[in-house]
Amino acid sequence: MTSTMDRRALLTRAALGATGLVAASAMGSLAPEAAFATSAQAPDPGAPDPNFAEGLITGRNQDLLQVKGSDGRLHKIQLTGVTSIWKLRPTTIDQAMIGDGLYARGVKLPNGVLAAESVWLNIVNLDVMINSISRTGLNLDHFGQKIFGHVQEGVTAAAYNGTPAISDLSLLKVGRHVQVIGAWRPGTSEIDIATIYAAN
Amino acid sequence: MFAQQVAAAQPLLIGLLLLWTSYGKLANPEEAEKTALPKLVGEKRAKPAYRAIGIIEAALALALLSPPAWTAEVLAATALGLGFTGYLIYAKVVVPEASCGCAGKSAKPVGYRSIGRALLLTATAAVALTTTQGWWSAGPATFILIAEAAAFIALSPELDRYWLLPLRRLRVRLSHPLAGTASTTVPLAATERRVILSPAYRAVTGLLRSDVRDYWDEEDWRFVSYTARYDGRSATAVFAVPHSDSESVRVAVVDETSGQTLYRPALLSMAS
Repeated sequence: MTSTMDRRALLTRAALGATGLVAASAMGSLAPEAAFATSAQAPDPGAPDPNFAEGLITGRNQDLLQVKGSDGRLHKIQLTGVTSIWKLRPTTIDQAMIGDGLYARGVKLPNGVLAAESVWLNIVNLDVMINSISRTGLNLDHFGQKIFGHVQEGVTAAAYNGTPAISDLSLLKVGRHVQVIGAWRPGTSEIDIATIYAAN
Repeated sequence: MFAQQVAAAQPLLIGLLLLWTSYGKLANPEEAEKTALPKLVGEKRAKPAYRAIGIIEAALALALLSPPAWTAEVLAATALGLGFTGYLIYAKVVVPEASCGCAGKSAKPVGYRSIGRALLLTATAAVALTTTQGWWSAGPATFILIAEAAAFIALSPELDRYWLLPLRRLRVRLSHPLAGTASTTVPLAATERRVILSPAYRAVTGLLRSDVRDYWDEEDWRFVSYTARYDGRSATAVFAVPHSDSESVRVAVVDETSGQTLYRPALLSMAS
Protein backbone atom coordinates (compact mmCIF):
# COMPACT_ATOMS: atom_id res chain seq x y z
CA MET A 1 0.00 0.00 0.00
CA THR A 2 2.84 2.33 0.97
CA SER A 3 4.56 1.62 -2.33
CA THR A 4 1.34 2.51 -4.16
CA MET A 5 1.23 5.80 -2.28
CA ASP A 6 4.93 6.47 -2.98
CA ARG A 7 4.40 5.63 -6.62
CA ARG A 8 1.43 7.92 -6.89
CA ALA A 9 3.29 10.73 -5.12
CA LEU A 10 6.20 10.41 -7.56
CA LEU A 11 3.90 10.37 -10.58
CA THR A 12 1.81 13.25 -9.24
CA ARG A 13 4.91 15.45 -8.92
CA ALA A 14 6.12 14.42 -12.37
CA ALA A 15 2.81 15.10 -14.08
CA LEU A 16 2.48 18.53 -12.51
CA GLY A 17 6.04 19.39 -13.54
CA ALA A 18 7.50 19.57 -10.04
CA THR A 19 10.44 17.33 -10.91
CA GLY A 20 13.36 18.03 -13.19
CA LEU A 21 13.47 16.65 -16.67
CA VAL A 22 16.38 14.38 -17.58
CA ALA A 23 17.48 13.02 -20.86
CA ALA A 24 16.82 9.33 -21.29
CA SER A 25 19.79 7.38 -20.03
CA ALA A 26 21.08 4.14 -21.46
CA MET A 27 20.21 2.34 -18.24
CA GLY A 28 18.35 -0.92 -18.88
CA SER A 29 15.54 -2.27 -16.74
CA LEU A 30 16.01 -5.19 -14.36
CA ALA A 31 12.33 -5.72 -13.65
CA PRO A 32 10.04 -8.33 -15.29
CA GLU A 33 8.95 -5.46 -17.46
CA ALA A 34 12.11 -6.24 -19.44
CA ALA A 35 9.83 -8.76 -21.13
CA PHE A 36 8.65 -5.90 -23.24
CA ALA A 37 12.10 -5.48 -24.72
CA THR A 38 10.78 -7.74 -27.44
CA SER A 39 8.66 -5.60 -29.67
CA ALA A 40 5.23 -6.75 -30.80
CA GLN A 41 5.19 -8.95 -33.90
CA ALA A 42 3.06 -7.96 -36.83
CA PRO A 43 0.34 -10.59 -37.36
CA ASP A 44 0.45 -12.63 -40.57
CA PRO A 45 -2.51 -12.02 -42.87
CA GLY A 46 -5.29 -14.49 -42.09
CA ALA A 47 -3.53 -15.85 -39.00
CA PRO A 48 -4.64 -15.09 -35.43
CA ASP A 49 -3.04 -11.99 -33.93
CA PRO A 50 -0.10 -13.37 -31.90
CA ASN A 51 -0.23 -10.42 -29.53
CA PHE A 52 -3.82 -11.02 -28.45
CA ALA A 53 -5.50 -13.77 -26.44
CA GLU A 54 -8.99 -14.38 -25.12
CA GLY A 55 -10.58 -17.14 -23.11
CA LEU A 56 -11.31 -18.45 -19.65
CA ILE A 57 -8.67 -18.57 -16.92
CA THR A 58 -8.29 -22.25 -16.03
CA GLY A 59 -5.18 -22.05 -13.88
CA ARG A 60 -2.90 -19.60 -12.15
CA ASN A 61 0.66 -20.18 -11.01
CA GLN A 62 1.74 -16.98 -9.28
CA ASP A 63 1.52 -14.43 -12.09
CA LEU A 64 1.39 -16.92 -14.97
CA LEU A 65 -2.17 -17.57 -16.16
CA GLN A 66 -3.38 -20.57 -18.10
CA VAL A 67 -6.18 -19.59 -20.42
CA LYS A 68 -8.41 -21.76 -22.58
CA GLY A 69 -9.54 -19.81 -25.65
CA SER A 70 -13.09 -20.06 -26.91
CA ASP A 71 -11.65 -21.53 -30.12
CA GLY A 72 -9.98 -24.28 -28.06
CA ARG A 73 -6.48 -22.80 -28.16
CA LEU A 74 -4.50 -22.73 -24.93
CA HIS A 75 -2.61 -19.62 -23.92
CA LYS A 76 -0.06 -18.84 -21.24
CA ILE A 77 -0.21 -15.26 -20.10
CA GLN A 78 2.36 -13.58 -17.91
CA LEU A 79 1.18 -10.70 -15.76
CA THR A 80 3.77 -8.20 -14.59
CA GLY A 81 3.87 -5.14 -12.38
CA VAL A 82 3.25 -2.95 -15.39
CA THR A 83 0.26 -4.88 -16.79
CA SER A 84 -2.94 -2.86 -16.70
CA ILE A 85 -5.78 -4.96 -15.26
CA TRP A 86 -9.41 -3.98 -15.78
CA LYS A 87 -12.09 -5.69 -13.74
CA LEU A 88 -14.97 -3.24 -13.71
CA ARG A 89 -12.32 -0.63 -12.89
CA PRO A 90 -8.52 -0.50 -13.12
CA THR A 91 -7.30 -2.90 -10.44
CA THR A 92 -4.34 -5.04 -9.39
CA ILE A 93 -3.01 -8.29 -10.88
CA ASP A 94 -4.14 -10.41 -7.89
CA GLN A 95 -7.74 -9.87 -9.10
CA ALA A 96 -7.24 -12.27 -12.06
CA MET A 97 -8.92 -15.43 -10.76
CA ILE A 98 -9.67 -18.91 -12.07
CA GLY A 99 -13.03 -18.85 -13.83
CA ASP A 100 -12.69 -15.26 -15.03
CA GLY A 101 -13.10 -14.50 -18.72
CA LEU A 102 -10.14 -12.61 -20.15
CA TYR A 103 -8.97 -10.49 -23.04
CA ALA A 104 -5.24 -9.81 -23.11
CA ARG A 105 -3.00 -7.77 -25.35
CA GLY A 106 0.75 -7.80 -25.10
CA VAL A 107 3.89 -9.19 -26.62
CA LYS A 108 4.33 -12.84 -27.59
CA LEU A 109 7.68 -14.02 -26.21
CA PRO A 110 9.85 -16.58 -28.05
CA ASN A 111 8.82 -19.25 -25.48
CA GLY A 112 5.15 -18.85 -26.48
CA VAL A 113 4.11 -16.94 -23.36
CA LEU A 114 2.15 -13.75 -23.94
CA ALA A 115 3.62 -11.00 -21.76
CA ALA A 116 0.45 -9.02 -21.12
CA GLU A 117 0.45 -5.26 -21.34
CA SER A 118 -3.31 -4.92 -20.92
CA VAL A 119 -5.81 -7.41 -19.49
CA TRP A 120 -9.56 -6.98 -19.33
CA LEU A 121 -11.38 -9.43 -17.04
CA ASN A 122 -15.00 -10.47 -17.60
CA ILE A 123 -15.57 -7.42 -19.79
CA VAL A 124 -18.85 -7.35 -21.72
CA ASN A 125 -20.24 -4.92 -24.26
CA LEU A 126 -23.97 -5.44 -24.69
CA ASP A 127 -26.81 -3.88 -26.64
CA VAL A 128 -29.78 -4.24 -24.34
CA MET A 129 -33.24 -2.91 -23.58
CA ILE A 130 -33.98 -1.60 -20.10
CA ASN A 131 -36.87 -3.76 -18.86
CA SER A 132 -37.19 -2.21 -15.45
CA ILE A 133 -35.22 -0.11 -12.98
CA SER A 134 -34.75 -0.80 -9.29
CA ARG A 135 -32.68 0.80 -6.53
CA THR A 136 -29.89 -1.73 -6.93
CA GLY A 137 -29.73 -1.95 -10.70
CA LEU A 138 -31.36 -2.50 -14.05
CA ASN A 139 -33.24 -5.50 -15.43
CA LEU A 140 -31.97 -5.80 -18.98
CA ASP A 141 -33.20 -7.72 -22.00
CA HIS A 142 -30.46 -8.90 -24.35
CA PHE A 143 -32.31 -10.37 -27.37
CA GLY A 144 -34.67 -12.26 -25.08
CA GLN A 145 -32.06 -13.16 -22.48
CA LYS A 146 -32.64 -11.57 -19.09
CA ILE A 147 -29.63 -9.95 -17.46
CA PHE A 148 -29.44 -8.03 -14.21
CA GLY A 149 -27.06 -5.09 -14.27
CA HIS A 150 -25.85 -4.08 -10.81
CA VAL A 151 -25.24 -0.40 -10.19
CA GLN A 152 -21.98 0.10 -8.27
CA GLU A 153 -21.72 3.33 -6.36
CA GLY A 154 -18.70 5.36 -7.38
CA VAL A 155 -18.16 3.28 -10.53
CA THR A 156 -21.32 3.09 -12.62
CA ALA A 157 -21.70 6.06 -14.92
CA ALA A 158 -23.94 7.01 -17.81
CA ALA A 159 -23.15 8.90 -20.99
CA TYR A 160 -26.25 10.52 -22.49
CA ASN A 161 -26.35 11.49 -26.16
CA GLY A 162 -22.58 11.25 -26.53
CA THR A 163 -21.83 13.78 -23.77
CA PRO A 164 -19.17 13.04 -21.10
CA ALA A 165 -20.18 10.35 -18.61
CA ILE A 166 -21.78 11.41 -15.34
CA SER A 167 -22.70 9.46 -12.22
CA ASP A 168 -26.35 10.57 -12.38
CA LEU A 169 -28.39 7.59 -13.60
CA SER A 170 -31.78 9.19 -13.10
CA LEU A 171 -32.18 10.01 -16.80
CA LEU A 172 -32.36 6.32 -17.76
CA LYS A 173 -35.75 5.28 -19.06
CA VAL A 174 -37.61 1.97 -19.11
CA GLY A 175 -38.08 0.50 -22.58
CA ARG A 176 -35.04 2.27 -24.09
CA HIS A 177 -32.20 0.53 -25.87
CA VAL A 178 -28.77 1.26 -24.41
CA GLN A 179 -25.22 0.03 -24.77
CA VAL A 180 -23.64 -1.28 -21.59
CA ILE A 181 -19.97 -1.84 -20.82
CA GLY A 182 -19.59 -3.91 -17.70
CA ALA A 183 -18.04 -6.85 -15.92
CA TRP A 184 -19.80 -10.19 -16.06
CA ARG A 185 -20.18 -12.10 -12.80
CA PRO A 186 -18.92 -15.57 -13.82
CA GLY A 187 -21.49 -18.35 -13.70
CA THR A 188 -24.48 -15.98 -13.48
CA SER A 189 -26.59 -13.85 -15.78
CA GLU A 190 -25.59 -10.75 -13.83
CA ILE A 191 -23.15 -7.99 -14.65
CA ASP A 192 -21.74 -5.01 -12.81
CA ILE A 193 -22.20 -1.91 -14.90
CA ALA A 194 -19.24 0.35 -15.69
CA THR A 195 -20.74 2.69 -18.27
CA ILE A 196 -24.14 2.94 -19.93
CA TYR A 197 -24.41 4.75 -23.26
CA ALA A 198 -27.95 6.04 -23.71
CA ALA A 199 -29.74 8.23 -26.22
CA ASN A 200 -32.54 10.28 -24.72
CA MET B 1 -76.97 -22.85 -12.49
CA PHE B 2 -74.42 -20.01 -12.41
CA ALA B 3 -71.56 -22.54 -12.61
CA GLN B 4 -73.19 -23.96 -15.73
CA GLN B 5 -73.36 -20.50 -17.26
CA VAL B 6 -69.71 -19.82 -16.43
CA ALA B 7 -68.78 -23.10 -18.09
CA ALA B 8 -70.93 -22.23 -21.10
CA ALA B 9 -69.22 -18.84 -21.51
CA GLN B 10 -65.71 -20.34 -21.82
CA PRO B 11 -65.79 -21.19 -25.55
CA LEU B 12 -66.14 -17.45 -26.33
CA LEU B 13 -62.85 -16.68 -24.58
CA ILE B 14 -61.07 -19.76 -25.99
CA GLY B 15 -62.33 -18.91 -29.48
CA LEU B 16 -61.09 -15.31 -29.32
CA LEU B 17 -57.75 -16.41 -27.89
CA LEU B 18 -57.26 -19.00 -30.64
CA LEU B 19 -58.20 -16.44 -33.32
CA TRP B 20 -55.50 -14.12 -32.00
CA THR B 21 -52.82 -16.84 -31.83
CA SER B 22 -53.75 -18.24 -35.26
CA TYR B 23 -53.48 -14.78 -36.80
CA GLY B 24 -49.95 -14.46 -35.39
CA LYS B 25 -48.95 -17.79 -36.89
CA LEU B 26 -50.53 -17.26 -40.32
CA ALA B 27 -49.30 -13.65 -40.68
CA ASN B 28 -45.69 -14.43 -39.66
CA PRO B 29 -44.96 -18.04 -40.67
CA GLU B 30 -41.21 -17.25 -40.74
CA GLU B 31 -41.35 -17.14 -36.95
CA ALA B 32 -41.35 -20.95 -37.08
CA GLU B 33 -37.55 -20.86 -37.42
CA LYS B 34 -37.16 -19.31 -33.98
CA THR B 35 -39.29 -21.96 -32.26
CA ALA B 36 -38.47 -25.52 -31.23
CA LEU B 37 -40.32 -26.87 -34.31
CA PRO B 38 -37.20 -27.27 -36.54
CA LYS B 39 -35.75 -29.53 -33.83
CA LEU B 40 -39.03 -31.43 -33.36
CA VAL B 41 -40.20 -31.99 -36.96
CA GLY B 42 -37.12 -31.06 -39.02
CA GLU B 43 -35.98 -27.84 -40.68
CA LYS B 44 -38.04 -28.28 -43.85
CA ARG B 45 -41.30 -29.17 -42.16
CA ALA B 46 -41.16 -26.49 -39.45
CA LYS B 47 -42.85 -23.75 -41.49
CA PRO B 48 -45.67 -25.93 -42.91
CA ALA B 49 -46.25 -27.42 -39.45
CA TYR B 50 -46.41 -23.93 -37.91
CA ARG B 51 -48.89 -22.81 -40.57
CA ALA B 52 -50.95 -25.99 -40.12
CA ILE B 53 -51.27 -25.32 -36.38
CA GLY B 54 -52.43 -21.81 -37.23
CA ILE B 55 -55.10 -23.16 -39.59
CA ILE B 56 -56.27 -25.72 -36.97
CA GLU B 57 -56.47 -22.95 -34.37
CA ALA B 58 -58.45 -20.68 -36.72
CA ALA B 59 -60.89 -23.46 -37.71
CA LEU B 60 -61.41 -24.48 -34.09
CA ALA B 61 -61.87 -20.85 -33.05
CA LEU B 62 -64.58 -20.29 -35.67
CA ALA B 63 -66.30 -23.54 -34.67
CA LEU B 64 -66.27 -22.53 -31.00
CA LEU B 65 -67.57 -19.04 -31.71
CA SER B 66 -70.39 -20.05 -34.04
CA PRO B 67 -73.45 -22.21 -33.29
CA PRO B 68 -74.16 -25.03 -32.73
CA ALA B 69 -72.26 -25.86 -29.53
CA TRP B 70 -70.72 -29.29 -29.87
CA THR B 71 -68.86 -31.09 -27.11
CA ALA B 72 -66.39 -32.30 -29.76
CA GLU B 73 -65.21 -28.69 -30.32
CA VAL B 74 -64.46 -28.21 -26.63
CA LEU B 75 -62.84 -31.64 -26.47
CA ALA B 76 -60.59 -30.62 -29.37
CA ALA B 77 -59.71 -27.37 -27.58
CA THR B 78 -58.77 -29.35 -24.44
CA ALA B 79 -56.56 -31.65 -26.50
CA LEU B 80 -54.97 -28.63 -28.21
CA GLY B 81 -54.29 -27.02 -24.80
CA LEU B 82 -52.68 -30.22 -23.54
CA GLY B 83 -50.65 -30.46 -26.74
CA PHE B 84 -49.41 -26.88 -26.37
CA THR B 85 -48.44 -27.49 -22.73
CA GLY B 86 -46.47 -30.62 -23.64
CA TYR B 87 -44.79 -28.89 -26.59
CA LEU B 88 -43.77 -25.85 -24.50
CA ILE B 89 -42.29 -28.03 -21.75
CA TYR B 90 -40.39 -29.95 -24.46
CA ALA B 91 -39.15 -26.65 -25.95
CA LYS B 92 -38.01 -25.29 -22.58
CA VAL B 93 -36.08 -28.47 -21.78
CA VAL B 94 -34.64 -29.38 -25.21
CA VAL B 95 -34.25 -26.01 -26.97
CA PRO B 96 -34.15 -23.45 -24.12
CA GLU B 97 -33.28 -20.55 -26.44
CA ALA B 98 -36.30 -21.20 -28.71
CA SER B 99 -39.12 -18.68 -28.70
CA CYS B 100 -42.67 -19.74 -27.93
CA GLY B 101 -44.08 -18.84 -31.33
CA CYS B 102 -47.48 -18.90 -29.64
CA ALA B 103 -48.88 -15.63 -30.93
CA GLY B 104 -46.55 -14.38 -33.61
CA LYS B 105 -43.48 -12.19 -33.25
CA SER B 106 -41.64 -12.60 -29.99
CA ALA B 107 -37.93 -13.22 -29.51
CA LYS B 108 -38.40 -14.19 -25.88
CA PRO B 109 -37.55 -17.78 -24.97
CA VAL B 110 -40.31 -20.04 -23.61
CA GLY B 111 -40.91 -19.10 -19.98
CA TYR B 112 -43.13 -20.30 -17.18
CA ARG B 113 -45.73 -17.69 -18.14
CA SER B 114 -46.22 -19.24 -21.59
CA ILE B 115 -46.56 -22.70 -20.03
CA GLY B 116 -48.97 -21.24 -17.45
CA ARG B 117 -51.05 -19.75 -20.28
CA ALA B 118 -51.26 -23.13 -22.04
CA LEU B 119 -52.32 -24.75 -18.76
CA LEU B 120 -54.99 -22.06 -18.24
CA LEU B 121 -56.26 -22.69 -21.78
CA THR B 122 -56.50 -26.41 -21.00
CA ALA B 123 -58.30 -25.71 -17.71
CA THR B 124 -60.88 -23.35 -19.25
CA ALA B 125 -61.55 -25.88 -22.03
CA ALA B 126 -61.94 -28.63 -19.42
CA VAL B 127 -64.46 -26.46 -17.53
CA ALA B 128 -66.40 -25.93 -20.76
CA LEU B 129 -66.70 -29.72 -21.13
CA THR B 130 -69.15 -29.75 -18.21
CA THR B 131 -71.94 -28.10 -20.22
CA THR B 132 -73.59 -28.44 -23.59
CA GLN B 133 -74.94 -24.88 -23.71
CA GLY B 134 -73.59 -22.33 -26.16
CA TRP B 135 -71.75 -19.19 -24.94
CA TRP B 136 -74.60 -17.01 -26.29
CA SER B 137 -76.83 -18.40 -23.56
CA ALA B 138 -74.38 -17.71 -20.71
CA GLY B 139 -75.99 -14.38 -19.69
CA PRO B 140 -74.25 -12.32 -16.95
CA ALA B 141 -71.67 -15.10 -16.43
CA THR B 142 -69.97 -13.71 -19.54
CA PHE B 143 -68.53 -10.94 -17.34
CA ILE B 144 -66.38 -13.56 -15.59
CA LEU B 145 -64.48 -13.71 -18.86
CA ILE B 146 -63.10 -10.21 -18.26
CA ALA B 147 -61.14 -11.50 -15.25
CA GLU B 148 -60.03 -14.57 -17.19
CA ALA B 149 -58.95 -12.42 -20.14
CA ALA B 150 -56.90 -10.29 -17.72
CA ALA B 151 -55.19 -13.48 -16.51
CA PHE B 152 -54.41 -14.48 -20.11
CA ILE B 153 -53.01 -11.00 -20.82
CA ALA B 154 -50.86 -11.17 -17.68
CA LEU B 155 -49.49 -14.53 -18.84
CA SER B 156 -48.71 -13.29 -22.37
CA PRO B 157 -45.13 -11.94 -22.72
CA GLU B 158 -46.09 -10.73 -26.23
CA LEU B 159 -48.44 -8.15 -24.69
CA ASP B 160 -46.06 -6.80 -22.00
CA ARG B 161 -45.18 -3.75 -24.07
CA TYR B 162 -48.82 -2.65 -24.09
CA TRP B 163 -49.37 -2.66 -20.33
CA LEU B 164 -46.35 -3.75 -18.27
CA LEU B 165 -43.79 -1.43 -19.87
CA PRO B 166 -46.06 1.67 -19.66
CA LEU B 167 -46.75 0.83 -15.99
CA ARG B 168 -43.03 0.56 -15.23
CA ARG B 169 -42.38 3.80 -17.15
CA LEU B 170 -45.02 5.55 -15.09
CA ARG B 171 -43.51 4.25 -11.86
CA VAL B 172 -40.02 5.45 -12.84
CA ARG B 173 -41.42 8.82 -13.87
CA LEU B 174 -43.17 9.28 -10.53
CA SER B 175 -40.13 8.29 -8.47
CA HIS B 176 -36.89 7.26 -10.19
CA PRO B 177 -35.23 4.48 -8.17
CA LEU B 178 -31.76 5.76 -9.13
CA ALA B 179 -32.48 9.43 -8.38
CA GLY B 180 -29.82 9.48 -5.64
CA THR B 181 -26.91 8.44 -7.81
CA ALA B 182 -25.74 11.91 -8.83
CA SER B 183 -22.46 12.82 -7.11
CA THR B 184 -19.59 15.24 -7.60
CA THR B 185 -17.10 12.41 -8.29
CA VAL B 186 -16.05 12.43 -11.94
CA PRO B 187 -16.49 8.98 -13.53
CA LEU B 188 -13.30 7.46 -14.96
CA ALA B 189 -15.01 7.22 -18.38
CA ALA B 190 -15.32 11.03 -18.43
CA THR B 191 -11.65 11.46 -17.45
CA GLU B 192 -10.51 9.02 -20.14
CA ARG B 193 -12.50 10.94 -22.72
CA ARG B 194 -10.84 14.20 -21.70
CA VAL B 195 -7.42 12.57 -21.83
CA ILE B 196 -8.00 11.12 -25.29
CA LEU B 197 -9.20 14.46 -26.67
CA SER B 198 -6.24 16.39 -25.20
CA PRO B 199 -3.11 17.62 -27.06
CA ALA B 200 -1.07 15.93 -24.30
CA TYR B 201 -2.45 12.54 -25.32
CA ARG B 202 -1.68 13.17 -28.97
CA ALA B 203 1.91 13.98 -27.98
CA VAL B 204 2.49 10.63 -26.29
CA THR B 205 -0.05 8.26 -27.83
CA GLY B 206 2.67 6.43 -29.75
CA LEU B 207 4.45 5.65 -26.48
CA LEU B 208 1.47 4.14 -24.64
CA ARG B 209 1.39 0.35 -24.33
CA SER B 210 -1.46 -0.43 -21.91
CA ASP B 211 -4.94 0.56 -20.83
CA VAL B 212 -5.38 2.64 -17.64
CA ARG B 213 -3.19 1.11 -14.94
CA ASP B 214 -4.10 3.30 -12.00
CA TYR B 215 -5.99 6.48 -11.25
CA TRP B 216 -6.32 8.72 -8.22
CA ASP B 217 -7.50 12.16 -7.18
CA GLU B 218 -5.39 14.80 -5.48
CA GLU B 219 -6.63 18.29 -4.76
CA ASP B 220 -7.89 19.80 -8.02
CA TRP B 221 -6.52 17.08 -10.25
CA ARG B 222 -7.19 13.54 -11.31
CA PHE B 223 -4.16 11.46 -12.29
CA VAL B 224 -4.28 8.56 -14.73
CA SER B 225 -1.28 6.33 -15.42
CA TYR B 226 -0.49 4.04 -18.36
CA THR B 227 2.41 1.75 -19.12
CA ALA B 228 4.58 3.28 -21.83
CA ARG B 229 7.81 2.65 -23.69
CA TYR B 230 10.30 5.43 -24.08
CA ASP B 231 13.61 5.17 -25.85
CA GLY B 232 13.52 1.37 -25.79
CA ARG B 233 12.68 0.92 -22.11
CA SER B 234 9.62 0.55 -19.96
CA ALA B 235 8.21 3.72 -18.47
CA THR B 236 4.99 5.14 -17.06
CA ALA B 237 2.96 7.88 -18.70
CA VAL B 238 0.98 9.87 -16.18
CA PHE B 239 -1.67 12.38 -17.14
CA ALA B 240 -2.86 15.15 -14.86
CA VAL B 241 -6.46 16.07 -15.65
CA PRO B 242 -7.76 19.23 -13.95
CA HIS B 243 -11.20 19.10 -12.37
CA SER B 244 -11.83 22.61 -13.70
CA ASP B 245 -11.67 23.75 -17.31
CA SER B 246 -9.21 26.57 -16.61
CA GLU B 247 -6.16 24.32 -16.89
CA SER B 248 -5.21 21.95 -19.68
CA VAL B 249 -4.37 18.25 -19.43
CA ARG B 250 -0.67 17.62 -18.70
CA VAL B 251 1.45 14.54 -19.20
CA ALA B 252 4.84 13.24 -18.12
CA VAL B 253 6.68 10.04 -19.03
CA VAL B 254 8.47 8.74 -15.95
CA ASP B 255 11.03 6.03 -15.28
CA GLU B 256 9.67 4.63 -12.03
CA THR B 257 12.84 2.79 -11.05
CA SER B 258 14.97 5.92 -11.08
CA GLY B 259 12.19 8.40 -10.45
CA GLN B 260 13.34 10.45 -13.40
CA THR B 261 11.00 12.27 -15.73
CA LEU B 262 12.00 11.26 -19.23
CA TYR B 263 9.67 13.32 -21.33
CA ARG B 264 7.23 16.15 -20.77
CA PRO B 265 5.74 17.93 -23.79
CA ALA B 266 5.69 21.24 -21.94
CA LEU B 267 5.49 23.55 -24.91
CA LEU B 268 2.55 21.64 -26.28
CA SER B 269 0.54 21.83 -23.07
CA MET B 270 1.35 25.54 -22.73
CA ALA B 271 0.27 26.19 -26.30
CA SER B 272 -3.09 24.59 -25.69
